[in-house]
Amino acid sequence: MRFVVRRLVFFVITLWAAVTANFLIPRLMPGDPALAMMARYRGRVNPQALHSLEIAFGVNNHQGLVAAYFAYLGNILRGHFGVSLTFFPEQVSHEVFQALPWTIALVGVTTVLAFVFGTLIGLLGAWRRGGMLDSALPPIFVITSAFPYFWLALISIWLFAIKLDWFPASGGYDVTTKEGWTWAFASDAVRHSILPALTILLTSIGAWILTMRNNTISVLSEDYVRMARAKGLSPWRVMWTYAGRNAILPNLTGFAMSLGFVVSGAILVEFVYNYPGVGWMFLQSVENQDYALMQALFLMIIICVLTAILIADAATAILDPRTRDSR
Amino acid sequence: MSAVTATIRQVRPRPGFGALRAVLGNRKALVGSVLLALFVVLAAVPGWIAPYDPTAEIFQPALGPSSQHYFGTTAYGQDVYSQLVWGTRQSLLIAFAVGGLATVLAVLIGVSAAYLGGLSDGVLSLVTDVILVIPIFPLVIVLAAYEKNAGFTTLVVVLGAFGWSYGARQLRSQTLSMRNRDFLQAARVRGERKLYVIVYEILPTMTSLIVATFLGAALYAVLTAAGLQFVGLGDPNSLSWGTMLYWAENNEALGAGMVWWAIMPGVCVALLGAAFALLNYAFDEVSNPALRKPRKVTRG
Amino acid sequence: MRRTRISLLLLAVVVLAAATWAGASTGAKAASGSSVTISNESGTTWTCGFNPYNPSVSYLAFGTVYEELVFVNALQSAKATPWLASAYAWSNGNKTLTFTIRNGVKWSDGQPFTAADVLFSFQLLKKHPALDINADWSVLKSVAQKGSNKVVFTFKTSAVPYFYYIAGQTPIVAKHVWSSIANPVTYNDAHPVGTGPYTMSSCSPQVIDYQRNAGYWQKGLPKIDTLYYPSFTSNDPANQELADDQAQWGSQFIPNIKGYYLSKSPDHHMWFPPVANVSMFINLKDPQLSALPVRQAMAYAIDRARVSQIGEYGYEPPSNQTSIVSPTYKSWIPKSLAGTYSYNPAKAKQILTSAGYTMSGGVFHDPSGKALSFTIVNIGGYSDWVASVQVIAQELKSIGIKLTPENLSSTTYDADLYNGKYQLAYGAETGGPAPYYELRQMLYSKNSAPIGKPASSNWERYSNAQVDAWIDQYGATTSSAVQHSIVAKLAGIMTSQVPVIPITEQVDWYQYSTKTITGWATPQNPFAQPAAYNTPDIGVMLLHLRPKG
Repeated sequence: MRFVVRRLVFFVITLWAAVTANFLIPRLMPGDPALAMMARYRGRVNPQALHSLEIAFGVNNHQGLVAAYFAYLGNILRGHFGVSLTFFPEQVSHEVFQALPWTIALVGVTTVLAFVFGTLIGLLGAWRRGGMLDSALPPIFVITSAFPYFWLALISIWLFAIKLDWFPASGGYDVTTKEGWTWAFASDAVRHSILPALTILLTSIGAWILTMRNNTISVLSEDYVRMARAKGLSPWRVMWTYAGRNAILPNLTGFAMSLGFVVSGAILVEFVYNYPGVGWMFLQSVENQDYALMQALFLMIIICVLTAILIADAATAILDPRTRDSR
Repeated sequence: MSAVTATIRQVRPRPGFGALRAVLGNRKALVGSVLLALFVVLAAVPGWIAPYDPTAEIFQPALGPSSQHYFGTTAYGQDVYSQLVWGTRQSLLIAFAVGGLATVLAVLIGVSAAYLGGLSDGVLSLVTDVILVIPIFPLVIVLAAYEKNAGFTTLVVVLGAFGWSYGARQLRSQTLSMRNRDFLQAARVRGERKLYVIVYEILPTMTSLIVATFLGAALYAVLTAAGLQFVGLGDPNSLSWGTMLYWAENNEALGAGMVWWAIMPGVCVALLGAAFALLNYAFDEVSNPALRKPRKVTRG
Repeated sequence: MRRTRISLLLLAVVVLAAATWAGASTGAKAASGSSVTISNESGTTWTCGFNPYNPSVSYLAFGTVYEELVFVNALQSAKATPWLASAYAWSNGNKTLTFTIRNGVKWSDGQPFTAADVLFSFQLLKKHPALDINADWSVLKSVAQKGSNKVVFTFKTSAVPYFYYIAGQTPIVAKHVWSSIANPVTYNDAHPVGTGPYTMSSCSPQVIDYQRNAGYWQKGLPKIDTLYYPSFTSNDPANQELADDQAQWGSQFIPNIKGYYLSKSPDHHMWFPPVANVSMFINLKDPQLSALPVRQAMAYAIDRARVSQIGEYGYEPPSNQTSIVSPTYKSWIPKSLAGTYSYNPAKAKQILTSAGYTMSGGVFHDPSGKALSFTIVNIGGYSDWVASVQVIAQELKSIGIKLTPENLSSTTYDADLYNGKYQLAYGAETGGPAPYYELRQMLYSKNSAPIGKPASSNWERYSNAQVDAWIDQYGATTSSAVQHSIVAKLAGIMTSQVPVIPITEQVDWYQYSTKTITGWATPQNPFAQPAAYNTPDIGVMLLHLRPKG
């Protein structure tokens, strides 16, 4: 019970710190959204008209810092994130929810896949020490996990999409395909996601394999594993229910964290593949000094991470009784 | 019998000659060290190795590889190989600077938190957890976009100031598990000061963890810096592998036949990263004998 | 047993993948009739808003769906073609402009288009200044309807060049739609009703689909049934679509265009017509830079052809010091001034030495002993500008002037530029449909502001009462002869005072494929500015296109 309370306290405090930092950082940085607008519309707007635009966009709003802070908090609680400068006059929440499914679908699914496959391979590799999985794969994946992601993405686009023409080079779906819940659209979307998914998988799976492998090896030398083997249980059973279950525990928190960081990881992917998700949207918001959008996305990332950690802690508590009563 | 004695000998790994022998004996560590050493040499004396001035736009643009230009020339007429050599310095500096900063912070905070206990521990742990949750890449992007040139200092400070939390967490739990070990009890009874105990008794036992933190932070720094520069938020006039990739991308290098210009900087980043990763992997094995490759196939 | 389960799972995945493949390849392309696809990296996904007065999205509606009163062609020195207005006339000392509104035009919802809509549109701009993105009302006194089909514009002072903004750049909207909109500034306009050749048929964040307007007032046009406008968030995929022939009309900056695009097919063409300059702006309030010899030396020391070659792949022709771009406005360049300030590093050094500057340690020092070392601000995100400045820096270094580039983010750059907090700046004015517009932007002191206050243009803070008088004189005349003589005088200021050094000429990025479509704008037939991001020229181009064969 104390454990749960502690975690909740941590959650609330972190959330508050994040929200406050989120509010302060854009205001502390030099730069002026009014000028940002001038930059964006360079050539399309007569500069004398800019002043009225600023007012319309709510950009030169001279509220006191404290008053603005509380107004901000109130708005957040009510779910009002404001109007986006980049996508004027759309609401920030509208734009974010439109882009979110793409990111979750692509990066979320591949993170899960990388975790599942990586853990499996790590487990199997550790189980068969000295075998092919153990001696060849880990060093290879150690190296691939050090590849700069965007570089691998560029090369795969060039090789597979342009030279070999096996996959589409960019985008979420083809220009002439209509959006909607049809087979044509769904299959087109899947086709466009294969290359980005494969590149993400390749770069991220290495870490999972290694940590799972190391954890499993430590667990394998424990007494209860030896006991299970002595009892005559089948190797699969020992591996799954005894070794695997315990080895995976430290990884769970890591997995939760990585799910939370899905959006940060998505930024480069979406930049290279022209994928219409929230990662790319974050880059846009920074470039355009679109405070409203930037803050909303930043907050979303932090909430995702925190929620993920809470869930991971809960899972660990359920699966591993040791954490419940100590500390 | 020999396995038992082997275990006893490994309880307190001594730094120094023993470590060196361990590194040389492990194949992964050997490869990693050689790679790292190679890059250190390139960073230290680029003028001796690179044949040309990396920024001089005096050659014919878009040449292919030849004996005069190992990797051809850029779209602006610069020698790709010379750029690679000179670019090593920045990447290595970032790696070591961030690695160092993050490790120092991680050690300070993680170990102190565990050793001091009580309220200090609570506060420090809270701070660690909060920082751990903040997504670094987006934060760096925001700061880089506002900075004049997202220069070296900004990158080092931000990455170092936010990259220590994972290591601190690990160091803290390691220290916690050691708090009641005999040799520490002995030191306390002797009346040694807390600082002495921390520096001379606890730290030496956690060398591998500290090294792992350093290498992990260094790897992350190299990849993040390259990513930032690639996206265009670095200083495009600086000379590093990341900016080379930025320029290559902006000139459609892959599509327009300047393939090596686009590929080689990425290979260098990958190799440097691989060096760190291999060393990390090897250090794991050095400190935890169970992870090493078994000499004989038969199991006990 | 586990093994078979896993292999079954794998088999299922493979089958699913194959089915996906087959489905995608057959079902995707379902376009009927002729179509053209644009490749223009907009840097953002679509919001599916089409408010023509919203500068973020106006280029998606103005020209295709909404139209202008008169079409003004920048490539033919502001040649005017009546459009929604069938005729126009200046009177009252060029302070009154009367338009006769065309008959027989219908809105896309069937309602008739009348002079009342024109009046309403301009009144809307007056009521909501945030919509007046061309600042029409900064020179207008009143707009009134006369009779059933005439609209009369009265100006505060004679401002003939504003004809371009009022007649050519202001979209006309439907009174019966917009009069009931409470806040037109935030109005999304998701289903725009216009008089133009196309209607917006469907929109998603990734692509907009326009269909031809069957009731369009130019009978028999347009000939292309569908226009696809995909969104691209980065350059690469947009370039790729062009190279793959999935898009036929490009408005892209493509590095190495020969190898990347032109060589892929004999039907691939490009044309980059210049309209304004990319220049080095010199802060005339800086004590060292206010000395004319320094500016002249810099103008002689820069090899513009080389900057263009290396920084811009030779796509942007080198500028000349008069700032009048060639070949677009070649006839405006006074013969005596053509060829001034061509690359001559020896002359640059000579000018400095005879003005009392001394060389020491490879750098020139002014008579007071201070070195000629300057910083130049630039937009870090424009890689071609960054590359150009690198070349300039090397060239100036070789004659003894030290240049340090500062690559800033877009917003920091603008802050510094507009507020005059820089020594040298690499930048561009917008220009307009004739050389006058850019010259006015560069030289008119009323555009400027003291250091520390933002200036909308004339960032170098040039101020000369005589020049202001000439500029005002131009604004009062419609005589081509008078216009030419004033431009010649302004060009003379550019060469004698060197307040700004034009380096390369800004071009329209334009690629097109003649594989399935013909009627494209070419140097021989420059009927409109050809890049798709120009409004309302995009509409004019679409009206000329037709399917081949």
